[in-house]
This record gives sequence, structure tokens and C-alpha cells, in this order.
Amino acid sequence: MLKLSTIQKKQIVGITGLAMVGFVLAHLSGNFLIYKGPEAFNGYAKFLHDLGALLWMMRAGILASFLLHMGFTINLVITNRKARVNRYYKYQNHRSESSLATQLMPLSGSIILIYIIFHLLDFSLADKVGIIQGIDYGLYGLVINTLKDPIHAVLYIISMASVGLHMYHAFQSVFQTFGLMSEKNQPRLVLASKVLGVAITLGYSSIPVYIMMNF
Amino acid sequence: MAKLKSNEPSGPVSEKWEKHKFDMKLVNPANKRKLKIIVVGTGLAGASASASLGELGYNVHTFTYHESARRAHSIAAQGGINAAKNYCNDGDSVQRLFFDTVKGGDFRAREANVHRLAENSVKIIDHCVAQGVPFAREYGGLLDNRSFGGAQVSRTFYAKGQTGQQLLLGAYQAMMKEVEAKTVTLHTRAEMMDLVVVDGKARGIIVRNLLTGELEKHAADAVVLATGGYGNVFYLSTNAMACNVTSTWRAHKKGAYFANPCYTQIHPTCIPVKGDYQSKLTLMSESLRNDGRVWVPNAVGDHRPAKDIPEDERDYYLERKYPSFGNLVPRDLASRNAKEQTDLGKGINGGLAVYLDFADSIKRLGKDTIEARYGNLFDMYQQITGTNPYESPMMIYPAVHYTMGGLWVDYNLESTIPGLHVLGEANFSDHGANRLGASALMQGLSDGYFIIPNTIGHYFGSNDLGKVTTDAPEFDEALNNVQEKINQLVNIKGSKTVDHFHRELGLLVWDKCGMARDKAGLEEALKRIPEIRDEFWDNVNVTGDGQFNQTLEKAGRVADFLEFGELMCQDALHREESCGGHFRTEHQTKEGEALRNDDDFCFVSGWEYNEGKKAKLNTEDLTFKDVPLSQRSYK
Amino acid sequence: MAEDKTITLTLKVWRQKNAEDKGHFEIYKAKDINENMSFLEMLDVINDTLTLNNQTPIAFDHDCREGICGSCGAMVNGVAHGPVSGVTLCQLHMRSFNDGDTVVIEPFRAKSLPVIQDLVIDRTAFDRIIAKGGYISVKTGSAPEANDTPIEKKKADASFDAAACIGCSACVAACPNASASLFVSAKVSHLVLLPQGHAEKKRVVQMVDQMDKEGFGGCSNAYQCQAACPKEIKVENIARMNREYIKEKSIR
Ligand SMILES: Cc1cc2nc3c(=O)[nH]c(=O)nc-3n(C[C@H](O)[C@H](O)[C@H](O)COP(=O)(O)OP(=O)(O)OC[C@H]3O[C@@H](n4cnc5c(N)ncnc54)[C@H](O)[C@@H]3O)c2cc1C
Ligand code: HEM
Ligand code: FES
Repeated sequence: MLKLSTIQKKQIVGITGLAMVGFVLAHLSGNFLIYKGPEAFNGYAKFLHDLGALLWMMRAGILASFLLHMGFTINLVITNRKARVNRYYKYQNHRSESSLATQLMPLSGSIILIYIIFHLLDFSLADKVGIIQGIDYGLYGLVINTLKDPIHAVLYIISMASVGLHMYHAFQSVFQTFGLMSEKNQPRLVLASKVLGVAITLGYSSIPVYIMMNF
Repeated sequence: MAKLKSNEPSGPVSEKWEKHKFDMKLVNPANKRKLKIIVVGTGLAGASASASLGELGYNVHTFTYHESARRAHSIAAQGGINAAKNYCNDGDSVQRLFFDTVKGGDFRAREANVHRLAENSVKIIDHCVAQGVPFAREYGGLLDNRSFGGAQVSRTFYAKGQTGQQLLLGAYQAMMKEVEAKTVTLHTRAEMMDLVVVDGKARGIIVRNLLTGELEKHAADAVVLATGGYGNVFYLSTNAMACNVTSTWRAHKKGAYFANPCYTQIHPTCIPVKGDYQSKLTLMSESLRNDGRVWVPNAVGDHRPAKDIPEDERDYYLERKYPSFGNLVPRDLASRNAKEQTDLGKGINGGLAVYLDFADSIKRLGKDTIEARYGNLFDMYQQITGTNPYESPMMIYPAVHYTMGGLWVDYNLESTIPGLHVLGEANFSDHGANRLGASALMQGLSDGYFIIPNTIGHYFGSNDLGKVTTDAPEFDEALNNVQEKINQLVNIKGSKTVDHFHRELGLLVWDKCGMARDKAGLEEALKRIPEIRDEFWDNVNVTGDGQFNQTLEKAGRVADFLEFGELMCQDALHREESCGGHFRTEHQTKEGEALRNDDDFCFVSGWEYNEGKKAKLNTEDLTFKDVPLSQRSYK
Repeated sequence: MAEDKTITLTLKVWRQKNAEDKGHFEIYKAKDINENMSFLEMLDVINDTLTLNNQTPIAFDHDCREGICGSCGAMVNGVAHGPVSGVTLCQLHMRSFNDGDTVVIEPFRAKSLPVIQDLVIDRTAFDRIIAKGGYISVKTGSAPEANDTPIEKKKADASFDAAACIGCSACVAACPNASASLFVSAKVSHLVLLPQGHAEKKRVVQMVDQMDKEGFGGCSNAYQCQAACPKEIKVENIARMNREYIKEKSIR
């Protein structure tokens, strides 16, 4: 693919990934408005809609990041698998250096992909109708009604765990990819990455839990 | 008996090399491309030569049996490299390095060569630093030095305990740059099996492709051998496992004289032998003697652990006998004294080991300083022995380490076969009967970077070399001989392993031609070696076929050791004196020091191969004008 | 002196005739192995027995047997150079194993390091990477006086630490992507940390391109290389390589 080196490809994966981290955090802060009730939540959605062209630019950006990220990771994974055609009969994680999150990056990423498709079908592309006790609460109601369903909620939580797992490795990894990691700052970055991963999982998952307990 | 001529220029010793450089013939740059040079070996000598000759524009073809040029044995050198920089302001100079080296070699080296070596030493450091060799530095950012045996000044440059590695990587990288520039063609896993001489000149080699087993013919205008030393004739040595005598021995059989084969160096500080499974010995760098103190218990039979032996019941015998050099006496002395102590039964637990103790230095300098200086050596020691040298003293014993002997070369590093040049440990040149620490690296690089690029041009300039291709009958003849020998080896299918014979030969020569030699022992060895050789050719088992076959590789090398060992003992028997690493028990002073015989043996022995008969002796007389002959004293 | 302890092991060793052969495991009993033996000496003993039974000994590369030449190496129970960290296979001693253990011995594997025979692999790709810029271009004879350029000690030491690489390819063998990033970055770091090596900016790009061309994978920051490296070379060097790479690419 193109005439890019593995380092350059990885750097594209990193920068787009980082953009998506930003998105994930912004998205989460928006989601938290659900705790403030329907007005706040729907108002936020309307605010976004009213941005018009700006919203479309943001969407295009995030879509491009997403596609580039996916495209280059798939490309890299293929390159890397090819380099490692010869597998071992017995292989051990060397002195437990790499975490499960690292080893599961392609898996957690793939779960995120599947999730995103369903996520778009569930919310973005669905009619923004959500009737609770006879009243239509719009998007707010739609979210409540969808996540009230335990199967939906569990799948949502698993997906959020995948996002968290992805972050657990990914955030610090970007620093290595861009050459900003040193022996000195590594422990701090690794810790930040772990905290971020756990926080994102807990933050997002709190919503279905809240909904299931209250509705 | 013919007299060998050194071909050194006239004039004062300090001006010879400059004068010679001016007098030598040059080759026009456009013509260099048309001249093909074969270099065998990619150690310090071979890699530096290949890189420099490639830079000059010659068409260089470089061969090594290693899978990569960077694996050459030079990589293992630990301690350092000497240079007369006088950065320590302790009175060093080219003149002093020259003096120390001639004296250290016990007056059996050629003065003109040694002076040139000392001159080049300075440029070597400059060049290596420019190449990116990460030598140790002081806090201020300038180069650090330490001292080595046989010198009272600090002139040794080092990169932790991995000086050889860093220097070799520098040379290897410089060579790989030329490979990229296509001036050097590198042939790896390619073992030279024979030299091809056409019209009396070295014109090519026969090579075995170790991957396919095929024999190849390579023709050239000159051949350079930089194939290292033959220390592995002793089986156990500090040399890498594959080090061998094959290339120089085959060249010898084609007419190159072998000089001083009996000069072998036994290094005093190695990890003692343990068990008969042992495959090689590990050196603990001489630099350790800077801060370690050598001792044995005073009393025979004192088998208490070191920490329980009080100060006044220890014999720091080097400090006692040689107060001015103490633990830093030259290697031959340090080794022989260790043997003397263990012969007296004072070795540790009565065995073959003495202590090298760092307790005082750790107390004086702190553990951190010692760790910074020798950390990796200490780790290595612990890894091998399972004991911690920060807590209890190291146990050490001498082991074969280096060979001063090698193919005879003149001042131009040309052997007795015109066009065959020999560099590094493979030649006999600069160390006389004993090499001082940190001077082999210096010699290899001096030969490769600074001497051969000049002298080989002189060879081309002064000889009219006709065109020779691999179609010449001499190539086929050599190839067929090699093939025949290989066929023979794989068809014996006897009942003993190659290592069995190697070990048997090794033990024999270690016993009879090792740290101390005498007439009776040498005669016995001379009787035994042909017997072992015959049995080898009768009863060795080389499994597998003629393709990639590590056993076959080893067998070929051992076969040559079995011939060479005889010449080594013959030389030792002939040299009726003690000098440097050659200690004949019949020739010693009252105090047990080596007793030279300058009246009868102040010469280099150059042995000439004599098919089916005893080798013939030729000599090069040595004269000492600038460092007057004297009894060495380190007291 | 006390008698040395001996142990008996079951070895499961990869045997492969040549590059084309599919290869298979062969089981050998290693009886009464002295625990002070090195791992390679243990293999010597097995090979002696094989030879005396007219079988082909196990081929393995080795030379210095003191951890510096980089010739030796194999996967021992799934770990490059075996269970002890910071040592090469030749420095591994049998006291690291227990009586009755089963030991699986496989060659270092990667597409770019094809097996030649048994445990012997072809590492010439490393040489080709070095040829693309793993040097400082200085002609013999043209160097300035060595002490003209002082080098900050911290930098000189870091440069040395990177230069300690022995090119054994354990990093590639251990990497899930068979990437050579640690090897390449160690050379880039060694040279770029020195003022002498600073000028040749293209080095990093050329070496990385060659690494890709050889078919090594890219780095996914799993750090298996660092854990496998017998010389304990740090992934910090990979970060430095990435940094140098960006600098060079963005300045042009
Ligand atoms: C453990 C140890 C530590 C040492 N420490 C020091 C030290 O601190 N300071 C110091 O000055 N010296 C030291 N020495 C000595 C020094 O390392 C060697 O003398 C020197 O490196 C030899 O270099 P060389 O280039 O002549 O040969 P080597 O480095 O031995 O290279 C020989 C080359 O020839 C090739 N070769 C050989 N035969 C053939 C053939 N038939 N066909 C094809 N290729 C062939 C090999 O593949 C190899 O590339 C040490 C030696 C040892 C053993
Ligand atoms: C289609 C869904 C996704 C897939 C298949 C996927 C896959 C991957 C893979 C395999 C890697 C490791 C690449 C390597 O190291 O070679 C990776 C890295 C990364 N991913 Fe994703 N991912 C996806 C979505 C996301 C999302 C939504 C985010 C952000 C929230 C994200 C952020 C990151 C980051 C920051 C990295 C680290 C890059 C680096 O190490 O420099 N990814 N991704
Ligand atoms: S044999 Fe040299 S590193 Fe192991």
C-alpha cells in the first residue's frame, strides 16, 4: 500500500487513533448529559445538529480517521503476519513483558468495528423516537429504550470494555510510535494509559447500568 | 639454511616508515579497479584491510567461514587497545610504546616493525573514534585510559569489557559500506581450503561454500590472509571454537615459511578448567589485574575458604617477587608464576587455580566503581561459575590465548610467496616471544588500515602480473586435492568423534609444549602426534554428506592441527633457550626466570615445508640497535 | 570439592535437513548432565552420542561461547536464549534446569531468517541492513585528533549501550511480528548519539526501508524484543529511531 514504510504507517495509525481518543472522550462527556435528564441530553444533540457544516466536517474527519486507522492497521497486521509465517511449537510471553491488551489489539479493534456498525444502526440511522410511558422523549428516550434491553446493555458493555482494552495499550503506545517515550517517562505514560482505559470503560458502562437500574 | 631478508628500509628506526612510504611505488587510481585482491578473514585485520583497500578503489573479494563478517574472533577481545597518546601525561610516547613492546616480546621481534606499530597506534585511535567506536570517556567527555601488563603508563583505550567488539563493529561497518559501494564483494560461509600459486606467485584460492559444500575457484592479483591464530591446537583455549590454522597451514604447504610456531601465549587470568566436558575456556580480561590482587595460601594443604585465611597467611606472590610491577607483570611471567605456585601444591584446594581478589579495591574504591569498571566481566564470571566475585575472590588459572607465531612476513607484510600478504594474528610479526596486553588489536588494525593499503600498491607497482584465470591448471589441481581429502574424510566412518582426536592432541601439546617445555617431553610429543594423526585418518567418524556439514568442517580443521602440532613441537625443541612464552625448563636462571640465549638464538625461525620430511629451517637475524639487548626485569 | 549435581532431561529438538525440508521434532534423552555444563556443552554431549551411533548431529551455530559473537541462539521452551534473562544460549548453564524437565528446542524463526539446517538460520538480512547506512563514512587516514571532540559522558554511555548489540536476532525471534526494529534502532542510536554520526541523516530512512524490504514486520510496541535481548538493549532506542525518522522525513 503506497510507498510508506512500516514506521510511517504506524504513525498514521497512531495519529488517527489519537484523534479518535479525542472523539471518544468528547463523546463520553456528551453522553454524561443523560444524567441531567432529557432536556439537557436532547439539547446537546440539537446543538450538534445546529452546527451544520461544521458538524459534517467533524464527521468527515472522524470517518477519515476511522477508515485510515482501520486500513493501515489491517495492512500492518497482514505485513506482520507474513513476517511471522513461521510459528513456534511453543512460545512464551517473554518475561511477561507484554500485556494482554497489547496482544489483543486486533481483537479489541475488530469488536469496536462491529460495535460501531450496530451503534450507527441503533442510534444515528434510526428514527429519533423514544416513547417512555406514552411520552416521546426523542433521542433521550431512544437511548433509554435501547439500553433497557439487558442483551443490548451487555453487548454495549462488552464493546466498551473492548474500547477500554484498546486504550489500555494504545494511549502510551502512541508516544513510543512518535518517539516521545523514554525510559524515564515510560512508567508514567503506561500508568496514564491504563487509567484512561479503565476510566473509559467505567464511564461508558455506567450509562446502561444506570438505565437498567432506574427504568 | 637460507637467510631471510626483512626488506626494511635503511635509516634510523623512527624514520623508516615515513621514508618507505615515500619510496614505495604507487598504483594509478584508474588501474586500481582492474586489480583484484582476495582477503581471507574479517577479523580486525581482514575487515580493516578490506574496508581500506575498497576505499582506495581496488576490486576486493573478502571471504570468511562465519555467517556474518561481524562474528570473527576479534569480537571477543575484552580489555583494550594501546596507543601512545600520552593523554595521561605520565611520560608515554611512541618511543616508550616501542621500547615496552620490544622488551615485552623478550627481544625476539623486529625493531622496525614494532616502531611502525607504535607510530600507527596514535592514528588508529583517531580513526576509530571518527568511526563511532564508543570508547570509555571521563566525565569531561574526553577519552579515558587504563593500564595493562608490562607497562608503567596508562595507555590502554577501552570500551567497557567489549573493546574488541566495538573495534570490530567499526571495521565491519566500514567494510559493509564498501560492500554497498560494490568495491568489496563479501563471501560468507566460505572457507578457504587451499592457496593457488601460479608461476611462483599467489594468484587465488580454493573455497568451500559451506552451505552447499561446493568447491569454488577464485583467481586474483594478490591474496591477503588475515585468518587469526592457531591457539586451538591446544583444544582448550580462550579462542572461539572455530579458530584454526587451516589457511596459514595450507599456504605453508604451498611454500610460505611458518615463523616461530612455538611462541604461544598463555594468559594468566582465565576461569579454571572444570570437568572433561568443557569445550572452551573463558578469559577474564587482564585489565582485572589493575585492581585485583593475586594470591595463594602460604601453607600447602591450607584448604580453608578464602575469607577464613588471614592476611598474614596469604602469599601475594607477584607483589612479593616483582615489587615494581606487582600484579601487572607481563603475561608470561604471571602465568608461569601461577604454575609454579600450583606445582608447589599451593593452588586453591591443592588444585589448578589461584585467587584474584578484589576485596581491597572494593574497600578502597567502592563496589560501584568496581562495577562500572568490570561489571560485565564479573557477571560473566558469576554466570559461568555460579559464584559471586563481589563476595569471594575469583579463582583463575592460565590458559592458551594467543599465538605470536605465524606466517613469516617481511616489512611489507609479504610472505615468502610473492603476492601473499599476511596480517593480524596470522603473521608472526610484531610481538616477538610474548605479546603485551592490548597490543593485538593495535597490530591487527595497524596492519589492515595503515600498512597493507600502502605495501600492496608497492607489490603491484613493482611486479608485472600477467592475467591469470581460474582456467589455469593449478586451480584444478588444488581443487582436486581438496576434494579428494574431503571424500576421504567422509568415507572413513570410524568409531571416534572428531573432538576426541582434537582433545587428545590438545592435552598432549598442553602437557608437553605448554607453559613449560623440555627436550624429553617434546620428543615424546613428536612421537605421539603422528600416531594420533594416523589413527585419525583411520578411525574418525564424520557423519553426514559433503553438503552443509559442521562435523566435516571441524574434521578438516583438526586434520590440519594434527600436522601443524608437529611443527610447533619441532620449533620448541629446536629453540634451546627460554624467551617470553617459550619456557624451556633446561634454560632458566637461578630464580627460575627465563634465560635467553642471544648468542645462538637471536633470530626468527622460518620453517619451510618439506613434503614428507622434516621441515627445513631458515632464519632471519634480529638486531637490536635502539632497544639494547638485556635481561628482562620487572622486579 | 563437592560432587557436581547431575540431571536427566528429555529434549524435544527441531530437526530440519535443509531449507526445503518441512522439519520435525525428534526426542532425545539427555542423561546425567552435569549442572555446571553450558547448554551448548550439553548439546555437544548429545551430538557425540549421535555421531557414535552414526546419526547426524544437531547442527547449531556457535563460536565464542562467551556471549559476544552473536552466533548462537535458539528458542528454549518458547523463550529466546532460554529462561535466564540477559544471557545468550552459550552462557546458559544447566543449573537453570531441574531433573526430569522436558526442554523444547526450536530455531529462531521468522520469514526473513530462514532455517538452513536444524537450529542454524540465515541472518544475512542483518548485514544487508547495516550496508544501507549502519556506519559513519570516514575514509581511513582522514580522521581528526580523537580528543578534539569531547562527548558528553551520558551520551557516550548511551551510545555504547546501544552498540552492545551482538546481532543474534533474538529480538526478531521473540517478536510477534518478527520485526527487526530493536536491531535497527540499536545501530541508529549508537551512531546518532555521537557527534561524529550525527551528520548522516539519511541513515535511519535507508536502514528502515531495507528492513521492510527484507520482509521483517513492523513494530507494535509489544516489547518482547527488549525482554529477549541478551544484551538488555532497551526499546527506548526504537523510540529514538522513530523520532529520527520523523525528523528526517519532515525536514525534507
Ligand atoms: C578472549 C580474548 C580476549 C582478547 N582480548 C584482547 C585485548 O583486550 N586486547 C588485544 O589487543 N587483544 C586481545 N585479544 C587478542 C585479539 O583479539 C586477537 O589477536 C585479534 O583479534 C586477532 O584478529 P585477526 O583479525 O588477526 O583474526 P580473527 O579476529 O581471529 O579473524 C579471523 C578471521 O578469519 C576467518 N578465517 C579463518 N580461517 C579461514 C578460512 N580458512 N577461510 C575463510 N575464513 C577464515 C574467520 O572467519 C575470521 O573472520 C584477545 C583474544 C581473546 C581470545
Ligand atoms: C475499526 C476499529 C479498530 C480497529 C480494527 C483497530 C485496530 C487497531 C490495531 C490492530 C492497533 C495496533 C496497531 C499496531 O500496533 O500495529 C491499533 C492501535 C491503536 N488504536 Fe485502534 N482500532 C480500531 C478502532 C480504534 C478506535 C475507535 C480508537 C480510538 C478510540 C483507536 C485508537 C487506537 C490507538 C490510539 C492506537 C495506538 C497506535 C500506536 O500505537 O501508535 N482504535 N488499533
Ligand atoms: S557462541 Fe558467541 S554468543 Fe553464543
